[in-house]
Amino acid sequence: MLVRNVTMLGHKDHGKSTLIGSILMLTNSVSQARIEEAKKYSQKLGKPFEPAFILDSFEEEREGGLTIDTTRAEASYKGVAFELIDVPGHEELIKNMMSGASFADIAILLVSAKPDEGIRDQTKRHVFVARMLGINSIIVAINKMDSVEYKKEVYDKLVNEINSFFKNINFSGSVRFVPISAYNGENIKEKSEKMGWYKGKPLLEELFFLSKKKDKPKIKDLRAVVQGFIEEENKKLISARVLSGCLRKGTISVYPNGIKRKALNLIVNGKKVAKACENDTVAIELDAPLNEARGLVISSSSKPIITKKINALVFSTIKLGNNSKISIRLLGKEFAAKKLSINEVIDASNGLHKKGNFIKPLDAGRVAIDLGDYVAVEKYSELKGMGRFTFYSGSKFGGVGIIE
Amino acid sequence: MSGVFMIEQNLKELEERSIFILREAKSKFKNVAALWSMGKDSTTMLALARKAFLGKVPFPVIHIDNGIDFPETYKFRDDLTKKWNLDLIVAKSEIKPEISGFSCCGSNKTEALKKIMKEYKFDALIVSIRRDEHGIRAKERVFSARDKNFRWNYKNQAAELWDDYSSKIDTAGHVRVHPLLDWNEIDIWRYIKKERIPVNPLYFSRNGFRYRSLGCTHCTVPVKSNAKTIDDIIKELKNTDTEERAGREQDKEKEYVMQKLRAFGYM
Repeated sequence: MLVRNVTMLGHKDHGKSTLIGSILMLTNSVSQARIEEAKKYSQKLGKPFEPAFILDSFEEEREGGLTIDTTRAEASYKGVAFELIDVPGHEELIKNMMSGASFADIAILLVSAKPDEGIRDQTKRHVFVARMLGINSIIVAINKMDSVEYKKEVYDKLVNEINSFFKNINFSGSVRFVPISAYNGENIKEKSEKMGWYKGKPLLEELFFLSKKKDKPKIKDLRAVVQGFIEEENKKLISARVLSGCLRKGTISVYPNGIKRKALNLIVNGKKVAKACENDTVAIELDAPLNEARGLVISSSSKPIITKKINALVFSTIKLGNNSKISIRLLGKEFAAKKLSINEVIDASNGLHKKGNFIKPLDAGRVAIDLGDYVAVEKYSELKGMGRFTFYSGSKFGGVGIIE
Repeated sequence: MSGVFMIEQNLKELEERSIFILREAKSKFKNVAALWSMGKDSTTMLALARKAFLGKVPFPVIHIDNGIDFPETYKFRDDLTKKWNLDLIVAKSEIKPEISGFSCCGSNKTEALKKIMKEYKFDALIVSIRRDEHGIRAKERVFSARDKNFRWNYKNQAAELWDDYSSKIDTAGHVRVHPLLDWNEIDIWRYIKKERIPVNPLYFSRNGFRYRSLGCTHCTVPVKSNAKTIDDIIKELKNTDTEERAGREQDKEKEYVMQKLRAFGYM
């Protein structure tokens, strides 16, 4: 079965968990026992049936009516298994949202049509971050259409507003729009008669359409990131994950130093193979040992970018200034940044340039980072896995960056 | 693409990710151990470890033994330990008078595990839980820290983006490693079939009943089933509407029992 990871995005209470609950029920992807349990619990709290409780399992989530941490549930539709990733909408929980959304390549952005809800800063911030996490396709679900009498004008206005934001941040992926009521299950699996003016497809059809697209790295040559030694005593056996191209037996170059080695044997998923290609985790038997392994990059023809300094777009959950001490986690290795320079500050809630010389929590910016050591990297736009990193201030998560 | 091909492809991806996670655990921690209940999931995990580390399981496996597991389970344990040359540690857990649900699994099993973890100074513990088993397990990270009292700070879990797993731990704490988090129950059975992984005979139907999820003799009950082969089980799972852990008493006692069990260090 084709599996696709789909993350929800959007401001708190705009219906992310409710939509997943609804999809699970409409596609018969959840057991009757779990639905009954959610029903019983809704009753106990004196609420009408809350489909979100199928996902929100923590006591604090149900009592408080919010999602605290990310979770997933699988719904199958027309032979595709959609792993629906729920994420919290609250600002202070954005680290959990990022943890969930980083697995997805498709997102459903929930925007409530209710007059006092609409497009919020957090709505746009989620899109800003999601793009940096690897999402190429977004379905914008204008939710709670039932609360505005299914009016086309409300929908059109929100669509225009969101579109101009996508323009601001130069979003180049696919964007689709669907008016829905997650709670009532309208325009989810079947088209709702109450929104006859909507000429597009129901949400699941749009999802199905996007599921057929697959993002391919721009780099076609071999790039494999070394995970480590398989046995510590014998430094000739290493494990690596192939991110692009194919690894074959014979001479390979190991970067950043450009050391040459011979790959004598390749083993993928327990079997000896002639070549290991994109997404394979391969055990490589080398002709001679390596001193270190983790974070090195294997190539066979073209050379990756070898540098000590990286220029990146970052989204920060902490205050970031020119003197901030941060560590960078890149290619499975941790680097204590020698120097951080803030070159531009960006408001993540509208994608626009902002004055100032430090980045506030939940904002973005362009930075130059001196890693103090050579690394082999690629631009994020060329090869995602070699162009993205997370950063920390001490043990505190600080945000995410992509190399430009 | 055909359905059969897609299933194969999906299993290959799951397998790849699990191998990556197991190697990640081995390279990030000094002293790794795994829990082995002799159930289908933790046995599948061991088969994956054999693939990841070229034929051998390079860490000790812990059986938390309360002395009341099924005879079939003990035999299965001893046979496979020999066959796969496993480094088995048996953690004896005490039987207390109130031996069911929260008290059985909560105090008895967790206490036995605490003792062993301390004695051997393990800094990482591989646990074969899956997201589809339970709403609370679905909230887990692949690498999930526990403090020295085994507590899970579920309200403030570490960030886990892509495959950047956090291995930082407080003094005397440990990290739970979950290599099977992405697998579904049916994936496990399909993989068992494909790889011919040995399974405990209790999973197959006898006199109209089989165990779908295995605990000890006191807290597990069999479910109605005529599935006598792996193919029968796969077919049954395609059509079932009941929960896998329906035969586990502890999950049903009260609301949030699983949340509380896990917060206190349960698997």
